[in-house]
Amino acid sequence: MDGKDKMTAANFPAIHAEELELGYRSAQGLNLLASGVSFDLHRGELTCLMGPNGVGKSTLLKAILHQHPPLKGSIFLENEEVRQLSDRERARKVAVVLTEKIPAGAMTVHELVALGRVPHTGWWGQLSPQDRSVVKRVMDITRITQLAGKKLAALSDGQRQTALIARALAQDSPILILDEPTAHLDLTNRFEIMYLLRDLAKKAGKAILVVTHDLEVAMETADTLWLMEAGKALQQGSPEDLMIQGGIQSLLPGDKWQIDPESGKIRLKDPPNLPQIEGPIHLSHWIRNVFRKNPELTRPERIVVRDQPFGIRLFFADRTEELNGIAEMIRFLQQ
Amino acid sequence: MTFNISSHWMNKLKSYKLLLSLLLCMILWLINLSLGSVSIPVDHLLQRLLGIPFPSDSWEIIVMEYRLPKSLTAILAGIGLTISGLQMQTFFRNPLAGPYVLGISSGAGLGVALLSMAGSAFGWQFLAGSGNYWSAIIAASLGSIAVLVMMGLAAWKVRDSMTLLIVGLMFGSAASSLITLLAYFSAAEELKMFTIWSMGNLGNTGWEKLGLLSGAVLLGLVPALASVKAYNAMLLGENYAVSMGINFQRLRWSMIVSTGILTGSITAFCGPIAFIGIAVPHLTRLLFKTNNHTLLFPAAALLGILVLLVCDSISQLPGMATSLPINAVTTAFGAPLIIWLIMRRNFSEEF
Repeated sequence: MDGKDKMTAANFPAIHAEELELGYRSAQGLNLLASGVSFDLHRGELTCLMGPNGVGKSTLLKAILHQHPPLKGSIFLENEEVRQLSDRERARKVAVVLTEKIPAGAMTVHELVALGRVPHTGWWGQLSPQDRSVVKRVMDITRITQLAGKKLAALSDGQRQTALIARALAQDSPILILDEPTAHLDLTNRFEIMYLLRDLAKKAGKAILVVTHDLEVAMETADTLWLMEAGKALQQGSPEDLMIQGGIQSLLPGDKWQIDPESGKIRLKDPPNLPQIEGPIHLSHWIRNVFRKNPELTRPERIVVRDQPFGIRLFFADRTEELNGIAEMIRFLQQ
Repeated sequence: MTFNISSHWMNKLKSYKLLLSLLLCMILWLINLSLGSVSIPVDHLLQRLLGIPFPSDSWEIIVMEYRLPKSLTAILAGIGLTISGLQMQTFFRNPLAGPYVLGISSGAGLGVALLSMAGSAFGWQFLAGSGNYWSAIIAASLGSIAVLVMMGLAAWKVRDSMTLLIVGLMFGSAASSLITLLAYFSAAEELKMFTIWSMGNLGNTGWEKLGLLSGAVLLGLVPALASVKAYNAMLLGENYAVSMGINFQRLRWSMIVSTGILTGSITAFCGPIAFIGIAVPHLTRLLFKTNNHTLLFPAAALLGILVLLVCDSISQLPGMATSLPINAVTTAFGAPLIIWLIMRRNFSEEF
C-alpha cells in the first residue's frame, strides 16, 4: 500500500501468466476449456474479465489462486511462481471476494474485516496494534466504519459486498480478485462498488481483476478488458478500443444480438426494413426500441416524432395518423 | 469512536462471562462432590481441601475413591465432547454435526458389543472376562481406532467434506447394524450389560484410569488449540479459508485426529455420552453471542463442564440409593433447555 512497495514492484507485472492450458482431467479424459492463455495484470489498473458462462473464467481464477493448477503453463505472482509459494505467502499476495454466500450470519462486520488479517497473525489469531490499525483504515476507506458492530445477516446486499471487499483489503495484498462483485446489486450499488474498486486501484496502487457479466459497468469503469472466448486466445485491450474495433461483439455469439456502439449496451439486432424515423435522437431511439421488441407490428413508411408537446405522426401510403403516446401507437399498429 | 467504546465493553462483558462460568464451575464441582446418597456438607469439603480431615472415615472414602474421580471424569468428558462437537460443527458448517458424526461411538459400541455379546452369538469363550471394566475399555478403544483408521483412509481418498460426513454416518450405521445382529443372538444378561454400557457411566474411572483419560484428553486438545485461527477462517467457508492461507488438508487431519482421540477415549472410559457434544456448542454461541473461536473454545469447554456436572449431580440426587444413567439425565434435562434456547431467536441465522 505504500509508495516504496510500488516502486520496487513497478518493474514486473502483478500477475504474469504464460501459455496456460486450463481444464480438468477426469476419468473420461481431458476436458480442455482454454489454451494459450497469456496475460499480464498490472498494478494501479482495474481489469475486467468477461466471457460467456462455461468458458473457463472461474478455472482461470482457481489457477491464479493455485486451487486448481493449470494443466500446462505457469503463473507468476510478482515474479514468483505461484506453485512455489506457501499458502501463507500466496495469501499475502492475493485476496479474493468470491460469489459464495457467507454462512456465518452472526459475525459482525468488524469481525469479518478482522479475519482478513489471518495471513499476518500468529497461531492464536490475536490482532496486534498494527493489525487493528489496518482493519480500521480499510473500514474507513470503504466507509463502513459505522456498520462495524452490525451482524452480517442484518446488512443489505450492497453493504455486505462492501464489507467483503474491506475484508479482502485487510489482507493487505497487492492483488485483489473479485468474482462477480456486482451481481444481485441494484444500479447505483453496482457503480458504487466498481468506482470504489477503481479508486483502490488508482490510489492504493492495487492490481484488481474483476470477473463480471455486466458490460455496461465494465465499459464505464475498467482500464483493461479481457475477453475470453471458447477455443480462442484471450483478447486484451482498453474497453474503448475493443468496442470500436468490434472485439466486444465476440461476447455475443450468433447473430441475434448486437452491441449498440453508441451506448455500449446489448440489444436485439435491428430487424430488416425498419420504418424511417425522424425527430430528436432521444425520442427516435425509443421508437426504434419498440420495433425491435415487437417485430410483428405493422410498419408505416415513415414516422415523425416531436417533443413538447410529445406527438407521433405515422405516415402510410394512403393516409397519416396522429398519436399522443407510444402505448397508443403500439395498440394502433397491432390492429 | 462509539464503536471502539462499545466493542471494548463487549470484550469486557465477554471476559466477565468467562470468569463467571469458571466460578460457577467451581461451585458446581463442590456441590457435585457434596450431593449423593450420603450428603457431605460443603464446608467440610472446603476444610478437607485445607488439610483438615473429615470427621468420618467413610466420607473420606466416598469422596476420594468415588466422587472425586467421578467429578474429574465429568470435567474431562465435558471438555472433550464439547470441543469435539464444536470442531465438527465449524468444520462441516453443519449445526447438526457432533462428536459422533464420524462413527466413533458406533465403532466403540461395536467393540464392546463384540466383547460382551459375541460369546453367546459365536460361542467364543476367550472373551468371557467381560465383567472386567478394563477389557471394555480396551474393546471400545480398539473399536474407535478401527473406525478412525477407516475414516482416515476415506479422508485420504475423498477431498469433499460433505462426502466425508456421509461416509462417517454410513460407518456408524453399518456398525449399529452389526451391533443389532449381535444383540439379536445374545443372551439376555449380556444384552443388559451392553445396554447399560451404552447408557454412559462417569463413575467407573478410578484414579489409574483417570490418569490415562486425562492424558488422552490433553493430547486430543493440542491439535484443536493449534487450529483456532483456522477454525475462525473456516467460518467463511472452505474457499475463503484457503484464500487466506489456511492449509485445508492439514486442518482436516487435525480435526479427525483431535476429535478421534477425544471422543474415542471418552467413549472408551464412559460409554457414549449423548447430547453434550452437539448441544453445548450451540448453547455457548447463544450465551456468548460470538462465533470467534478464541473465545468459543474456552467458553464451550467451561459450559461443557458446567452442563455435565449439573447432569451428574442430578443423576445422584440424595434420597436415591443408586444413581441414574447419565445419558437419561443429559437428554431429559438438556434437550428441553436447548429447544427453548433455539426457539427464542433466529437460530440458523446465529449459527
